[in-house]
Amino acid sequence: MQKKILIVDDEQDIVESLKFVLEASNFDCYCAYNGEEGLKMAKEVLPDLIILDVMMPKINGYKICRLLKYDNKYKNIPILMVTARSQEEDKLIGEETGVDEYITKPFDLDEIVKKVEGYLVK
Amino acid sequence: MAKILFISEDEKKTKQFQEILEKNSNEFYSADTQEASLDNIKAQVPDIIILDSLVKKIELKSVNKKIKSYGDNILTILLVGKESIEQELFKSANAFLQEPISNNLLISTINANLRTKNSLEMLSNSNQELARSLYQLNVLYNTSSQFAGTLDKNRLLDIMVEGMDKSLSFGLSCTLTFRSEDEPVLIISSLYQISDRLLEALKLRTILNYKSLFDKKQIPFALNLENLKIEKHIKQTNKEYDFSVLRYDNMFTPINMSENFFGFIEIYRETEFTTEDATCFQTLAQQVSLPLKSASLYEIKEKTNKKLEKLERMKSEFISIVSHELRTPLTAIKNAMDIILSGKTGVLTESMDNFMKMGRRNVVRLSGIINDLLDLSKIEAGKMDFKFSIIKMEPVIEYVKNCLNEMAKEKKLTLKINIDDDFTDIYADAQRLEQVLTNLVSNAIKFTHEGGEIGIETKIVDAKEIKYNPIFEDEFEKLHGKYVIVTVKDTGIGISEDDLARVFDQFAQIETSLSRKVGGSGLGLPIARQLLEAHNGAIWCDSELEKGSAFHFVVPVADEKNNFLLVLKQIVQKAKVKNSSVAVINIKGEKELIDRILKEKNLVNKNYLNNSIKESEDNDIILSMIIPEGDRFSADFLKKKLQGYIRTQSGIYPNCAIMYSYAIYPQDSTDDWELIRKVQESYVTIRE
Repeated sequence: MQKKILIVDDEQDIVESLKFVLEASNFDCYCAYNGEEGLKMAKEVLPDLIILDVMMPKINGYKICRLLKYDNKYKNIPILMVTARSQEEDKLIGEETGVDEYITKPFDLDEIVKKVEGYLVK
Repeated sequence: MAKILFISEDEKKTKQFQEILEKNSNEFYSADTQEASLDNIKAQVPDIIILDSLVKKIELKSVNKKIKSYGDNILTILLVGKESIEQELFKSANAFLQEPISNNLLISTINANLRTKNSLEMLSNSNQELARSLYQLNVLYNTSSQFAGTLDKNRLLDIMVEGMDKSLSFGLSCTLTFRSEDEPVLIISSLYQISDRLLEALKLRTILNYKSLFDKKQIPFALNLENLKIEKHIKQTNKEYDFSVLRYDNMFTPINMSENFFGFIEIYRETEFTTEDATCFQTLAQQVSLPLKSASLYEIKEKTNKKLEKLERMKSEFISIVSHELRTPLTAIKNAMDIILSGKTGVLTESMDNFMKMGRRNVVRLSGIINDLLDLSKIEAGKMDFKFSIIKMEPVIEYVKNCLNEMAKEKKLTLKINIDDDFTDIYADAQRLEQVLTNLVSNAIKFTHEGGEIGIETKIVDAKEIKYNPIFEDEFEKLHGKYVIVTVKDTGIGISEDDLARVFDQFAQIETSLSRKVGGSGLGLPIARQLLEAHNGAIWCDSELEKGSAFHFVVPVADEKNNFLLVLKQIVQKAKVKNSSVAVINIKGEKELIDRILKEKNLVNKNYLNNSIKESEDNDIILSMIIPEGDRFSADFLKKKLQGYIRTQSGIYPNCAIMYSYAIYPQDSTDDWELIRKVQESYVTIRE
């Protein structure tokens, strides 16, 4: 069965390109364009991995991450966090958020595919 | 003319004295019993009492006691016969007359004593005046020291009015001041309540006074009955002042802020003001002038600081926006290009592939520039965190070599490494040194023609042995002691002498067309310089056009002294960001004594020793300590404690003395090197 990946980012273009390369690598992609939608979808879809942007209106990536990682039902889903490495975020990185891995913008699509495969292809 | 009381039981004697004394126009009265004596003294305090020691019924002792209860106001003359008199009486009398009495002697004794009495009275009066002046002086002194304690204009005015009240005890004072250009305030300090019609009168008077101050001249701020606000301070509410207070004696003076008008004060007092009072009044009003100026400058400074803080915040926000808002679309562009280049969207022609790659190359370059900009602004804002530890240079060079070998091979360049020293410790942030070296080597690769050679060398040098290009003299002023030097040499295009001086300036390279060919932000070298500065190191270069360049950088060898200096640098940097202070304290003295001091509990705060260093100089030890958040107060406090300790030790320890000095950031200097220099220059000796 195809593994399910949830992509949450308010930048549609980024979501689209990630979706394209991940689908080309045979993953089943679900997309959300804001934090609320992302959180709802994560609970409905129960993905095998989540790619999450930090800076989003309303609920940011860290908050979603914390909400999921403190819930036994979802805590085992790996989360790849995408950041733009600005000053505020640097501070937050020090905090306990449960993020599995950070990816800094601008990122390499091949690199992301490799990382996702590392988590999901045994 | 004097009032003279004659106490005697002898009627004949009384008559005789009355005759002589009244003839000399004195006021004479007498008493012949104990009771009459006491009553007479009480009813009409005499200037002089003549006491007949031959009385039998009257008890002289108790009369004398009564006299003494008036202090030195009554003079006593004792009339003595041949008999001996009691010691106590003898002592308390001002003069004696031996019977039989000679008229002349009596008069001259009386007169002499009167003169003494008058002089004493005058003395006492001048004494009182002196005491009053002294009190006023004291108030002046206290007030001026209070002025120094505040930078708040309103508080300064309050202190001035308090000072005037204490020294002049006025009934009412009216102070006009402007809180802002359009906010005139009349501050009324009064002993009693103010009646409504008096308040109106005072307001009118204030406006008149104000207008008369600027007779025909331009009035600085608008003042009228409508905009004048009232602030009242009333001491006692049981009474009320009315118009009659306007007939009191009064004094008026303008209050200036430096040379400019600030306001004025008028005070009223029931009793008349003396010339001394006037001087005191003027002095107080003049004394407040300079503190007011300082307060106003401080206000301006605070406003500017707030503006700067806001700008700084805006800059940070801007950087954050740049980093996020630019990176996101950049990522999208790069992703799109990557997908096309991967061929997954269809086969590309050679020319399409070529242009796509050109686009991608420039996107990567742009993100590099953004990273550099972020780094530079972080360093400049003091927000760059350095992770200093004891490391060696060799692994840094190895890392950079491994990273850039591929790039060099592509251009068919030879990368030669020559490590002369692989054991010396340096105290540095490995990641930042890698950043510096990566930048230098990748520059070398970019600017060297195919087939050229790039060399990386490292060795240990003494600051004195370094041969440097005079253009970079400034960089070398601070260097002393042992350093690890790294040189990156290439056989590239070189840099002209004119450009050489500017290579470490921001955006220097960006202006040349070359940068467009080879890429880069032109910020790499300025960043390298800043990073090395944070290491107390230096960077410079030599170059010859078409022959090649050599970039050198040095990092101090890890020893206690250098590490101490780096720690100071970091603490000062943090204080700059937090707007706090730092104290550097040196204690110098014989080793044994310094060791004793350090062993002593509650003397030198143990936290002070967290960032400290001990050095030997001849027979002495110098202990240097850095105290984050430390100020003059903490430094003086330690000095006092040490003084106390030395006092207790001088008996046990001969020639007990230490040298003490301190320097405070930011008061003494805002530069860490300058602080060290100042602390070494300002020793004072502490001995008993």
